[in-house]
Amino acid sequence: MTTLRQAFDWGKLAPLRLHAKSVADGVYAGSHRSRRRGAGIEFGGQRSYVPGDDLRFIDRHALLRHGELLVREFETETDRTLCLLVDATASMSFRGENAPAAKYAYAALLAAALAKVAITAGDRVSLDWLGGGRTADLSTSGGREAFERIVGALETAEPSADLQSDRAALERAVARVERRAGRGASVVVFSDLLDLPSGALDSISSLAVRGKSLVVVRVLDPVEAEFPFVGPVHLRALEGEARVETDGNAARAAYLAALEERAQLWSAQLLARQGSLVRATSTDDAVGAVRQVLDALAGGRS
Amino acid sequence: MSFLVAAALGVGLFIAVPIAAHLLRRGRVRERPFPPAALVPPTRSVARERSRLEDRLLLTIRALAILCLAVIGATPFVRCSRLSLGRNAGASVAFALVIDDSHSMRASGANGTRFARSLRAARELLASAREGDAIAIVLAGKPARLALAATTDLQAARSALAAVHESDRATDLGPAVALGRTSLAGLAHHDKRVVLLSDLADGALPEGDPPLWAPVPELTEPLGNCAICSAERHGRRIDARIACTSAEAAHRRSLQLVGGDKGAPSVPLASRAGVQDLGIDADPKLTHPELELTGADSLAADDRAPVSAESAALGLLVVADTATSSAETGGPPILEQGLAALDSNAVLHPVALLPDDPHEYQGNALAVLDDPNGITPEARSALITFVEQGGVAAAFLGPRIERAPLGATLEPFVRGALHWEAKTGLGLDEASLGWLGPEALNLGDLGLHGRAGLATSDLLGARVRVKFSDGEPFLTERSLGRGLLFTVALPASVEQSNFPLRPTFLTLLDALVNEARNRRGAAQSIAGTEWLFPSSSNVAIDGPSGAVGVRERGSAFGAAQKSAVPELAGRYSLRIDDAHEERVAILDAAEITTPPQKPQDPAAFARGAGKTGSVDASPELGFLALALLGLELGLRVLRRTLTARTSHAPSRA
Repeated sequence: MTTLRQAFDWGKLAPLRLHAKSVADGVYAGSHRSRRRGAGIEFGGQRSYVPGDDLRFIDRHALLRHGELLVREFETETDRTLCLLVDATASMSFRGENAPAAKYAYAALLAAALAKVAITAGDRVSLDWLGGGRTADLSTSGGREAFERIVGALETAEPSADLQSDRAALERAVARVERRAGRGASVVVFSDLLDLPSGALDSISSLAVRGKSLVVVRVLDPVEAEFPFVGPVHLRALEGEARVETDGNAARAAYLAALEERAQLWSAQLLARQGSLVRATSTDDAVGAVRQVLDALAGGRS
Repeated sequence: MSFLVAAALGVGLFIAVPIAAHLLRRGRVRERPFPPAALVPPTRSVARERSRLEDRLLLTIRALAILCLAVIGATPFVRCSRLSLGRNAGASVAFALVIDDSHSMRASGANGTRFARSLRAARELLASAREGDAIAIVLAGKPARLALAATTDLQAARSALAAVHESDRATDLGPAVALGRTSLAGLAHHDKRVVLLSDLADGALPEGDPPLWAPVPELTEPLGNCAICSAERHGRRIDARIACTSAEAAHRRSLQLVGGDKGAPSVPLASRAGVQDLGIDADPKLTHPELELTGADSLAADDRAPVSAESAALGLLVVADTATSSAETGGPPILEQGLAALDSNAVLHPVALLPDDPHEYQGNALAVLDDPNGITPEARSALITFVEQGGVAAAFLGPRIERAPLGATLEPFVRGALHWEAKTGLGLDEASLGWLGPEALNLGDLGLHGRAGLATSDLLGARVRVKFSDGEPFLTERSLGRGLLFTVALPASVEQSNFPLRPTFLTLLDALVNEARNRRGAAQSIAGTEWLFPSSSNVAIDGPSGAVGVRERGSAFGAAQKSAVPELAGRYSLRIDDAHEERVAILDAAEITTPPQKPQDPAAFARGAGKTGSVDASPELGFLALALLGLELGLRVLRRTLTARTSHAPSRA
């Protein structure tokens, strides 16, 4: 671990454990009631049918009366699973000049804080990876030790690997999450949504089916979010062979438009699957970011 | 190069620093990690070109600034090709600039003409002169001339140098060196030198002090050249004299007529160095023909030359009775023998009687009459016409003056009856002979038997130039129109005196011939030869380089004259009063064929104590370095201003 910490710069976010606890403390944890709709005892309302929903919960009366496919939902007090999928590809190791740490470190902080919040509320947490080196998948578990294992795994992982042309690796990661996340589980994906293989949007958004809540947290560095370059620059991607020589002033508007277009695409696709996209930069307040995620998860259930 | 110079110049190696910085800076621009690079649109050409332009400009400025600093550090150790005067303990220097303005200096090498290089060297030497240095300027074109007497006025020296122009004169280097040394002789300067700016295409240089210094050795590099020295028409034929410096210069070249028929023949040159005489046929009706050499050489100006009219040589008309004027040993008359002995390149035309028609004088510049017994009215009229048009006539009077036929007089020489006086024991007044030179000595006894009594006749306003020892006139001179009339009281006969046997007799004949040549002017003369005209005449000359200046000067016979010098070879158009005349200035063949000579004793030349200059350029280089730094600053400010105008981002990542 020591070696890895030296190889990867955690910046101002080290040590992760303390920072994660601090962030989690900032988030209202309390006697967290895991409200979720889905299979349960108390009727919780109806919603439109989406492919993948359990046919057992289709409201036949509504279908016969109104001709619409609606699904009945129920509220239940139960232990629910939080599945974390963290992008540890090479692009996540990027850290701009004004950022407190690399994107991966910030994503790891949010993931650890969420895990802390969930475990404190009695939920179970699993951890899976997109790319990365020295990663360790953690199956669903709960309790104090689970938090320690998650933090250790996050600290051990090394952002590397080029996933751009390796769709199979992506599919494998998504499949693992899908296996761990049962009905009613919450899935949170941390990624910069850059350099992912084609079809990544469909694969990841498919996690929102079968009663699962999906929140994708896009983590960017301030440099990526603002493109503050001035004058001639020669840029090189960390994954793939993309190299571009351009003028910062001239290319800024087109770049930001392309970035926004990509975010809108993800947001629309996730929204259609009852998921949501949370945008964050590594300089944002981590507490606020975690609350956004929690709100997004709660919104997906409401 | 000393260690200090090497160390100072080694600073120039720091030019690698800005180059490395430049490369490093370009490298950072190229390699900047940015994960979403695929989303960035390229504007490659604009970015690269602007970066390259600005960076290279800044790099050049910085490199130049460093080089300036290096040279400043090396100054004044750095030597350059500029000439300057070496000084012994910093003392003032007196030097004579001997500038060769002969024809061979017009040849062009890799760095322009020799003459231009000489003038450049002279200017550099003048620029290195300081207050107190004395400078004389001598021109080595024939005849050698003193363009500027030794003076400490540097501005006067610059003005005199600016007035020096190239010419087609022959080389007269030896006398020029002597003239330069003479001009420095009276100066108090301890350090004196004679600077030779010449191709040394002449004979051996005179030894002596001050020492010689030839600071521009490249002037003596041989340059191939062929030239048409002279060309003269003889009926249908044109005779030309060609001179070449080397066989290579003459190789595959030929002589041809300019403006002739298309099928006009050309005469190939023999592939050898030296002089060769060639002939070429030409239409007699062709006016102002010119010849040219095919091919090219180091001097194009002498590859084309005008053709002189026929009979361009100086003609001398000798009227003498072979029965009475010949020596006892036989042969032609003594007067003819004397004129032939002068080797004046003149053509003698001996006649028994004075011509009655003025046209018979055509081609002659001097008419000499020996012991005439009178001049008939027709001959007198023709003679007066000849003299008024610029001819010179001389009458050596003898005993036959008393046997003039009816109607014949001795006018226009003298008027009235003349008597032959029997006189003995007389000589010439040496005081009146000074203008004839050192030969006019020991003439106290001429072995005289008689003389023409000029004192009793009307001399028609003639001036007595030489007297007998008793004061009676021996030689009179009278102007008539543009010409001159000379009357000598003795005949060219040894029966009446031994004067024809004396050197003074030849000296007198030579003076007459020179006066005739100067007054009439040879239709063909070597460039640089002075043309003389009567002071009363109105002379205008137009030559190859435009109008030629005419100035006043004295003559051997004392009368004021006008003179002009054709500096360049070619055809000259003269208007003397109302008469029009054409003359041709030609080249001296020896000027072409004499090769440049390396100094036989380079060490002696080295003692001239000159050197290539050590120039302290620190102030100029310092200003240049400051200007470069200012330029860089300005560029940076300009760049920042432009960037701020076009920037949309508040800060840089």
